Amino acid sequence: MLEETEDEYLNRCAAAAQDFVDFLDEEDVDDDEYFHRLMVYHKPGGSDQTRTRPVPFPDPTQTVDEPRGVVRVGFITGQVRHEAQRRAGQASPTEQHFVWSRVGFVFRLVCSSRLRRGGREELYMWTWKALNQREDGSLRPSAFRRGVVSSRASSLQLSNAKEFISLHRGAINSLEIDSTEGEGRYLLSAASDGTVAVFDTHRPTSSSSSSSTSIAQHHPLFHLPRAHKFAISRALWYPVDTGLFITASFDHYVKLWDTNSTQVVLDYKLPAKVYGIAMSSIATSHSLIATATADVQVRLCDLASGAFAHTLSGHRDGVMSLEWSSSTEFVLITGGCDGAIRFWDIRRPGTFLLLDQSLSQLGTRPPLLPTPTPSNNESTSLPASSKSSSSTPILPAQKRRSHKKIQLKPPTQSSHPGMASSQNRATAHYGAVNGLRATADGFYLLSSGSDSRLRLWDIESGRNTLVNYEAMSIQTSKPIQLAVTPDSSLVFVPCLASLKAYDLWSGTTINTYRGHYESVNCCFFNAQDQELYTGSNDRQILVWSPSIPAATQIEEADSKGGITSIDQDNWSD
Amino acid sequence: MAESSQSKSGGKKRPRSESEGDPDADADAASLQSIQLENDLNFTDTAIALQMMKAQFPKLDKVVVRPFILRSQLYSSVKDRTQVDRDLESLKKEAVVRVFKLNTGKDDHAIMFMDDYLAQMENAVKRYDAKDKQLSDVFDWFKQYVIKSKTDVSISHPELCSLLSNGGDVTEKHVTLLINAGLLTRQLIDQNLYWFVIPNIGSILKGLSQGRKELLSLINRTKYKEMVLANLEKKRLRLSPLDIRFHIRDLIGSGLLKTVQSPIGLLIRLSRD
Repeated sequence: MLEETEDEYLNRCAAAAQDFVDFLDEEDVDDDEYFHRLMVYHKPGGSDQTRTRPVPFPDPTQTVDEPRGVVRVGFITGQVRHEAQRRAGQASPTEQHFVWSRVGFVFRLVCSSRLRRGGREELYMWTWKALNQREDGSLRPSAFRRGVVSSRASSLQLSNAKEFISLHRGAINSLEIDSTEGEGRYLLSAASDGTVAVFDTHRPTSSSSSSSTSIAQHHPLFHLPRAHKFAISRALWYPVDTGLFITASFDHYVKLWDTNSTQVVLDYKLPAKVYGIAMSSIATSHSLIATATADVQVRLCDLASGAFAHTLSGHRDGVMSLEWSSSTEFVLITGGCDGAIRFWDIRRPGTFLLLDQSLSQLGTRPPLLPTPTPSNNESTSLPASSKSSSSTPILPAQKRRSHKKIQLKPPTQSSHPGMASSQNRATAHYGAVNGLRATADGFYLLSSGSDSRLRLWDIESGRNTLVNYEAMSIQTSKPIQLAVTPDSSLVFVPCLASLKAYDLWSGTTINTYRGHYESVNCCFFNAQDQELYTGSNDRQILVWSPSIPAATQIEEADSKGGITSIDQDNWSD
Repeated sequence: MAESSQSKSGGKKRPRSESEGDPDADADAASLQSIQLENDLNFTDTAIALQMMKAQFPKLDKVVVRPFILRSQLYSSVKDRTQVDRDLESLKKEAVVRVFKLNTGKDDHAIMFMDDYLAQMENAVKRYDAKDKQLSDVFDWFKQYVIKSKTDVSISHPELCSLLSNGGDVTEKHVTLLINAGLLTRQLIDQNLYWFVIPNIGSILKGLSQGRKELLSLINRTKYKEMVLANLEKKRLRLSPLDIRFHIRDLIGSGLLKTVQSPIGLLIRLSRD
């Protein structure tokens, strides 16, 4: 396919660090003329001799507004991103890739014989329309970028251009890309056989040579065979840079590694097997690693001093998942095997918020002015039919009558407001909470439980927004890793052997990604390239990248109000 | 199967477009023609769906149970699940329906209209004759104070006692009486928490889980793991007193079965994942 050969050419340029041939050099082509006629010309003499003739636009009778500016076109991928940007000017990388990918699609359309519907012309009209709007300034760059990114994120398919060769001999439990500014490049993976590996997602190490397709293969930059004695449940990059990474394992150890020398720098011994760790990426005043273990206490390990800072107690069973808040550096969110989700401010003892699945808000937050709350025990009237529940989430308000005969259990905790929350038995899920993910803006929290429900919580009010994510079945024994796109539009959930993408706000299934042979444990969405990496029990790391034909779904979605698959065929699965 | 389907007060055969916003659907139940499930599978509104499904609840001969609807049935009937959840939440707060957590399966909930539940409670209380007549006041306190103010599926022991004590002095024996009458049951994970339950429903729940298994195995045994809905409706389940339509809706809603359009009609297929 043509698409692949372009990539292959680019990868070769990238690997050899040489300039690529910009197929549309400005000095040779009259840009306005070129776009107006909607013909795509190519310079002969590039690596692809197949494209020496012009390829007409499918419907030449369509008129396009005369572009008033010139859109610079070039290849942007990986190493050559900077090169193209320097040569091409001010257009942002994503735009350029988008344009080129649309132009590249023209070839596929005309040269392939799989033209199924006439709807593809609409795609061109939309993309050319968007481009023209961008040129004359009616569409802002950020809006254009958002459209491109979201269309790419919803059109993921198993990548036929890229693969990771994983040397793990056990189930892959954790995948993470480093969060350095502007460049999320290195993928850290950890497996059940105690091994850790790091991959470079931008530069392939080799490519499998076959005649029609060539897949860029990424071998691990390094692979540590005996990082831990037992299974590693989570591996994290140090949030500031890739010089350090942290691994946590079922052998009760959390180890801090130096990436360049691949040696253990620090280790912490915990009393029980560690299910998860987290470090805050926005923290400036502390460098604490929060650890979730099978023990009921959450321990904070201090990187600076090498010792434990303090412990947070309140859960009644082991803690399976945890996450630092993405808006405040002192707030930690933990999910336990007892089904409770607790919010901790690490500067104070105790939980300040406990999520209760029975407290809900119907989409919008309850009104700011307090509704007159009926006291819980004295009222005999019907509860208020307002949109908010009247009880507060923190303490169960109990009034005791003086002449009660019942001996209630005397409160054993002190009356400190933080500690009293340990009496609160509210649960967020009917099973263990095995995955937590906060949205990038810090307003909402997604939690997945072993009762196979995914819930969306409004963090500010602490209530269940009652968004129902259609039927899923979540594995119950291990913590799983959820992924959310940065613009909070899609959530990716591993459901047994497949991965499902849901629309965050309405709960409809957008896509199901089937490719693994066994249960998927972890997934990570690379926001830079809009790629999804998934790891599963079958020891493979699969890459899901945006595919161009699927972009026509977006146009249909606009017209029909829902994303439909391009070729709905009900006679086969 | 024929007689049980005719005894439903289902109403006339109605095309799908008319099933929206028809409040006198129940009143129209003059004719006893069975409506095909294919036309009746989707509703636009949660309240309408609840009414219709309550009307279609099968008549059971051995046990007297007021109609209840499973949450998964609602999901299969109304397109937007989030809207179902939100509507259900507001109906719960208005005390029109009551939701109960069932112990069959992971996330089963049963929805019952409030008047049905109160009638069921009355039956249960009448059948259970308390030996100590003073203690039987607790049923009135329960109805008056607890049911009306607590709309959740579970309640904790201290809260239960404090709500009941609005009626009078409460002892452990009162709570025991409530449990024995079948109105509350202890939670397995936590001794201090109780679930609200529908009394006298145990045999039906057993039938529910067995019927589910039987229906799934029925479809599993076919060569391509699918069956035409019209044929499936005519079958009769051996192990479950509830009719097959109940089970089909329930399994579609919980995702174990899926419906597929085909030229011969609607197909029910086992979903693989």
